[in-house]
Amino acid sequence: MTLAVSLTRRPTRWSWRMLLALVLASTTAQAAKVELDPSNWGHPAGGDCVSCHEKASPGLAQQWHDSAHERAGVNCMDCHQAEASEPDAIEHEGQVIATIVSPKDCGRCHEKEFAEQQGSVHAEAYAIIAERVPALAHNLTGQAMQVAGCDQCHGSEVKVRGDGTLDPATWPNSGIGRINPDGSKGSCSSCHGRHAFSKAQAREPEACVRCHSGPDSPDKEIFEASKHGMLYVAERESMNLDADTWVAGQDYTAAPTCVSCHMGAAGKVPSTHDVGMRNVWSLNTPVSMRQYLIVLDDGSKLELSADQKPPRRGSEVEKADGTVAKVKVVAAPERRRAVMNLVCLECHSKTFTEGFMDQFDNVVELYNAKFGEPSSAIMAGLYERGLLTPLPFDEPLELTYWELWHDEGARARHGASMASPNHAWWEGMYLVGRNFYGRFLPEARTVAGDATGEVIDPLIDAGEHHAWLGQPQQANPILGYMPPPPPEAAPAEDAPIPPVPAAAEEPAGGSK
Amino acid sequence: MIQLRAPLFITRHVLFALVAGGLGGIVFMFFLLEFDEFTSSNEFCTTCHSMTYAEVSYRQSPHYNSASGVRATCGDCHVSEGLIMATYDHAVGTKDLIKELFGPKYDDPVVNLLHLPEAAFAARAWFRRRDSATCKRCHTLEAIQGTRANTAAIHQEETEDKTCIDCHYNLVHRKVPDEKTFKREAWNRMVEEEFDLAPGAAAKLVAE
Repeated sequence: MTLAVSLTRRPTRWSWRMLLALVLASTTAQAAKVELDPSNWGHPAGGDCVSCHEKASPGLAQQWHDSAHERAGVNCMDCHQAEASEPDAIEHEGQVIATIVSPKDCGRCHEKEFAEQQGSVHAEAYAIIAERVPALAHNLTGQAMQVAGCDQCHGSEVKVRGDGTLDPATWPNSGIGRINPDGSKGSCSSCHGRHAFSKAQAREPEACVRCHSGPDSPDKEIFEASKHGMLYVAERESMNLDADTWVAGQDYTAAPTCVSCHMGAAGKVPSTHDVGMRNVWSLNTPVSMRQYLIVLDDGSKLELSADQKPPRRGSEVEKADGTVAKVKVVAAPERRRAVMNLVCLECHSKTFTEGFMDQFDNVVELYNAKFGEPSSAIMAGLYERGLLTPLPFDEPLELTYWELWHDEGARARHGASMASPNHAWWEGMYLVGRNFYGRFLPEARTVAGDATGEVIDPLIDAGEHHAWLGQPQQANPILGYMPPPPPEAAPAEDAPIPPVPAAAEEPAGGSK
Repeated sequence: MIQLRAPLFITRHVLFALVAGGLGGIVFMFFLLEFDEFTSSNEFCTTCHSMTYAEVSYRQSPHYNSASGVRATCGDCHVSEGLIMATYDHAVGTKDLIKELFGPKYDDPVVNLLHLPEAAFAARAWFRRRDSATCKRCHTLEAIQGTRANTAAIHQEETEDKTCIDCHYNLVHRKVPDEKTFKREAWNRMVEEEFDLAPGAAAKLVAE
C-alpha cells in the first residue's frame, strides 16, 4: 500500500478542499431543512386521495397521518403527481400519477439529500453488479431469484410495459440502486419506510438489516456482536432517536448506529446521504483496495482503486453505467478515513481511534497478501492456461474461490471493520484459512495437474505467509498430540533405538 | 242521431294502407326487438374473427365467470337498453362493420392489438356519455357491498360526480392505459416484443 500513499500527493489538495466544502456546506452540522416555500406543496387533489385511501388502504393512510409529511401539509399528490409524458404515468381517479416515487421526486423538496445520494455507492448498487448477476443468479439458480433476491437489495431496472403497467419481474422493488423509469437511481424507501418516513426508524440499525445481513455482508450480525451494538441495545432509551437534529456527541452519546458512522452528523462533520463516502476500502472484492472517491462534474461520484494513478481534474472517466463524465474532485483514501475518524473522535481518543483503524487495516492487508492475492493469481493462471473454462461456476473450484473471498473473506474484513471479534475470526478469517488450505489449494492443484509447479507453488512459496507449511515438525498441543520428547543423549548400548519420526528430514511442503 | 262517419279522405285504399302499415309497423318493431336481441349476443359479435380477440380476455373475467352464474353478454354492456337506443347503437355500430370490411385487417392479431387502444378509448367515451347506463342494468350503487370492509363506504362517499367507468376500466378486456397517459411508442414496442416483430414493424402496420 506504499504505492497508494505515494500517489495521493496530487489529489490531496483537492480532497482537502472537498472535505472543507463538505464541512462548510452544512454550517449547523445537521440534516438539511427543506428550503422550498410551502406553496410548493399541498396539492388540491390530495384531500380526495386521503379520503378514499383511509377506506381502501387504512394502514397506509394512517402511516401518512402519523408522518411529518402530514404535519407539514405534504399530501399524496405532492409526491405521486406525474406528467402524462413520464413513462410510468397512469391515470388514477382523474389525476395523472406515478406509483413509483423516485429519488428525483423526493428531491423536488429534499434537494441536498438527492444530490448526495445520486452517484453514491448505494445509488449505483444495481449498475455495479448488473453485468455480473446473470452468471450467478441466472445460471446457478434462475431469473426468479434475481427478482426475489439480488434485486430486492441492489434494486431492479424497473420496466414499464406498453400497457402502462410495471413489469412484475421488476416491481415491486425498493432496492437501493433501483433504476427508475425517470432515469434516477435508487429508492429512498429502501431505508425510509413508507408512508411514515420516520426519522427514528431510519436511524435505527434495523433500517439497514434487510440487506446488510447474511453470509456476504453480515453487518447486522457484526454490529450486534460488537460493543457498539451491545451498548445500543442497553441504552436505546437514551439514543434520542426522535430528535430533530441527531448529531453524535451532541444529541446522543450512548452508542452509534450504522447511520452515526456512515452518514450521520458528528461534531463538525455534516451528515451525508452518500453512505459510502467515509469508507476507505473495497471490502467485497477478491482483493481489497483503498479507493479514491471521484466527484464528477455532473454531480455523480465514482470509486477508483488507489493502486492506479488518480485521474486528473477535468479528465474524462467512465462511470458504472457506461456513461462518461469529467472529474471535478478526487478525494484520497486518507481523506475519507480522516472524516470517519472525526466521527470516532466524538467518543474515542485519537490514539484509540488510530489504533483501532490500524488493527482493521492490518486484517485487510493480511487477507490480501495471504489469501486474496495468491488465490486470485492462481485462478487467473488456471484460466489463462485453459485449465478452467471461462464460464463461471461450472467447476467446483470456482465455487470454492467465490466463497473464499465473497463470503468468508468479506465476513472477516467486515468483522474487523466494525469490531466483532467473532466475525473477524471464527465466522471470517478462520474459515478463509480453512477453505484456503483445506479446499481451495487441494482443488486448485487437482485442476492444475502438471502445471502446479508453475501456477501454484511459486505463489505459495513466496513470502512468509505460507512458510509454516514447511515446518511439519513444529508440534503444538492444540489437537491433543505432542510427540514424545527427544531421547536423552548417550543412551545405554543395550537400549533400543528410539523411534525417530521418519518425516524429520522431509523437505518443506509436506501438506501440499 | 249522431252518425260516426269516417272523414271523406279515408277511402278504402287508405284504410287498407293504414291497417297494413300498422300491422307492418308492429311486425317491424318485433323484428327490431329480435334483431337487437340477436345482434347483441356473443354468438353474433364473434362471427367477426376480429372480435374473438376481445372474447379471450372477456372469458377470463368475472363478467363471464361469476360464482352466482350471472353472465353479461357483449350487448349487456355495449348496447343501450330500450328499443330506440339499442337500435341507434346498432345503427352507429355498423361503422365497425364497414371498418371490418374496408379498414385495416383487424382479423390479424397484430393489427388488432395495435388498434385496440383507439377502440378502448372510444368504448370508454361511450360509457361516459351514457353515464355508465349499461353497468347500472345490473349494478346499483347503493347496494354495492363488496368483500372488503370499506367497499360500501367508498361507493357511498367517494363517488360524487363520478360514473362507474371513471374508476372501473380495464375490467373485462385487455389492459389499455387511459388516453391521457397512453404512449403509442411503448404500445408498439410491446406488440413487437409479444409477436417477435422487428423494431419499427408496428409503426409501419399502424400507418397502413
